[in-house]
Amino acid sequence: MLPIEIRPDQLADEMLQYSQKLGKGIENLLNASEIDTGVSPKTAVYREDKVILYRYDAPEGAKQRNAVPLLIVYALVNRPYMTDIQEDRSTIKGLLATGQDVYLVDWGYPDQADRSLTLDDYLNGYLDRCVDHIREAHGVDRVNLLGICQGGAFSLCYSAMHPDKVRNLVTMVTPVDFKTADNMLSGWAQHLDVDLLVDTMGNIPGELLNWTFLSLKPFSLTGQKYVNMVDLLDDPEKVKNFLRMEKWIFDSPDQAGETFRQFIKDFYQKNGLIEGTVRIGEHRVDLKNVVCPVLNIFALQDHLVPPNASKALKGRTGSKDYTELAFPGGHIGIYVSGKAQKEVTPAIGKWLNERS
Amino acid sequence: MTSSAPWTNEWMEMQQKYWQNWADASQRLFGQETTQATAWGNAMDHWWKALAPAASSDMARGFMDKMVEQGKFFFQMAEELTGKLAGAGSQVDWSAALDNATGSLKDAFARLGAGDQSVHKMFAFWELPFDNWQRMASSLSPVPGDVLRNMPTEGMRSKLDRVLGAPGLGYTREEQGQYQELARAAIDYQETLAEYLGFFSKMGVGAVERLQWQIREAEQKKKTIGSARDLYDTWVHCCEAEYADRVMTDEYTELHGRLVNALMRVKQRMSFIVDEYLGALNMPTRRELRTLQDRVQEARRETKRLRSELEALRKQVGGTAAAPAPAAAPAASPAPAKPAAPRKKAATKARNGSR
Repeated sequence: MLPIEIRPDQLADEMLQYSQKLGKGIENLLNASEIDTGVSPKTAVYREDKVILYRYDAPEGAKQRNAVPLLIVYALVNRPYMTDIQEDRSTIKGLLATGQDVYLVDWGYPDQADRSLTLDDYLNGYLDRCVDHIREAHGVDRVNLLGICQGGAFSLCYSAMHPDKVRNLVTMVTPVDFKTADNMLSGWAQHLDVDLLVDTMGNIPGELLNWTFLSLKPFSLTGQKYVNMVDLLDDPEKVKNFLRMEKWIFDSPDQAGETFRQFIKDFYQKNGLIEGTVRIGEHRVDLKNVVCPVLNIFALQDHLVPPNASKALKGRTGSKDYTELAFPGGHIGIYVSGKAQKEVTPAIGKWLNERS
Repeated sequence: MTSSAPWTNEWMEMQQKYWQNWADASQRLFGQETTQATAWGNAMDHWWKALAPAASSDMARGFMDKMVEQGKFFFQMAEELTGKLAGAGSQVDWSAALDNATGSLKDAFARLGAGDQSVHKMFAFWELPFDNWQRMASSLSPVPGDVLRNMPTEGMRSKLDRVLGAPGLGYTREEQGQYQELARAAIDYQETLAEYLGFFSKMGVGAVERLQWQIREAEQKKKTIGSARDLYDTWVHCCEAEYADRVMTDEYTELHGRLVNALMRVKQRMSFIVDEYLGALNMPTRRELRTLQDRVQEARRETKRLRSELEALRKQVGGTAAAPAPAAAPAASPAPAKPAAPRKKAATKARNGSR
């Protein structure tokens, strides 16, 4: 028996099947209507510049809601509808089902007029005013925060700068130690002349970020993925799910230049969260100031934020109530996989309900 | 469009006949030398051209292009490899044939690194990361990303250094200087781009060695790669593994930084020149706009801070009744939303210990 045995007639047959699948599948592609994302009903409750704060409607028949509202802080890269991408794969929906009163801050699409926005503007400005709006609306002193990816790093900073406004903190796939050996993105960021990049481009184009993320696994993400898709083409629902994910992947807002400059320099190049050197506005970010209960969730197969980058949070906050949750999946799977719907979201809800 | 569009069935029948004829012919031809413009590639092009008019939407066409492109690649690969291994009946012959086949691939990668463009098309798959870079670079610049790719590098700098080093003269001295800087930046970028491509060709050799190792391992474990798809997946796995190892090295991270920085220097020089022209036309320049943006943002920041302090003071003196939401900035406006008042009551209740 030879290790490669592909006869010409087999090859022709395989080719025929491939082309037939494509031929049939093109109809499903053509029939795929407008891709809908962000499926749960929500209401805009506060707007400032391009930032919108949404509140999600309570599901019909919902029983008691957690009295402490939950604010989701997403990253500036990509769009937050990943958390609510489709009916049966929605972190938001799962959180609502556990009784959380869910808010989400949508940072919008910065343009050149937003180039000068700094981390101080985002965190001590927009985010702080969103938090104040929720506190006022609910008559509570503190809110629960759920930070995702870069939004997790932001939430950590916010909790360190405003500990009196945060009741509980959940961080999901959040980089804390930006210089772990397995962090590919960090390796690539070390030799970037960020000043030259920002001074030249103003804002950082979404295309540059797309390229960076696709470069993490270029052969799988820009080649093999489309071959795999051929096998899904006969199922209109799967085609739609694929297109929905594709839309999200390439829906990358530009990054406000000054914020990008500071984030790359202070977090990636200087590892400031670990070193305690991050300064945002008038505040020095000291993780020891995070004294509220912390639930730190990371994905074991995360190629964007390696688990070690997240696990570094342990022992670095001032919290006496620190919990970790390791999810056996990837950076995206932690929101959209069936397993995540069953395990991650209910665990967050339970953890919050026990502490609110 | 319905699922029983008439063209689909006719097209499927045509495909069936086409591939049957192809299989018959290729069985007779197997074992002979294959060309780079393989029959598979031509066949895929042929049927895609027949199908493409039906894929009228850009989105569908874009996806189908990608699937066809990848399909072409993996069938081409299977054809080439099986073609080279055909006739090697015994284990000994087979092993030598594998060495020969992978050796040819490695040679081709080496030629690619040396700038031999004749093998460029053959490695479209391997060049995916490089291709992604070119697309991204194109999107950031009025100049296509690959415009510098085929420019000869050898000796170019030494030839141009004298020209670029010559001082500008007269009224256009500054302008000459700007163009010289742009030319230098472009040469730097082009050299770095060539280095980047060279790095990928070295990676390619490593990936072929991994593939060779995987195939031998399959042999030892009595496993068989029995389809073009299996072979493609194995190759993708080898490429990703080799890529992951190499892009974490200091050599690559430094090269990656230099590439982005070099592109930015070109872009920056272009921006300077564009700004000069805009200024000459009495149009607002990018630099002027940025100065204004910075000043506006500083003023807005200050206004928001003052508004926030004012709200706090109002509360302190008991004037909260007339005040809007706390710390609300001037631009902030509660959206036409459902009133939150009923929830406030519930929240107060809960704060008092009902939950």
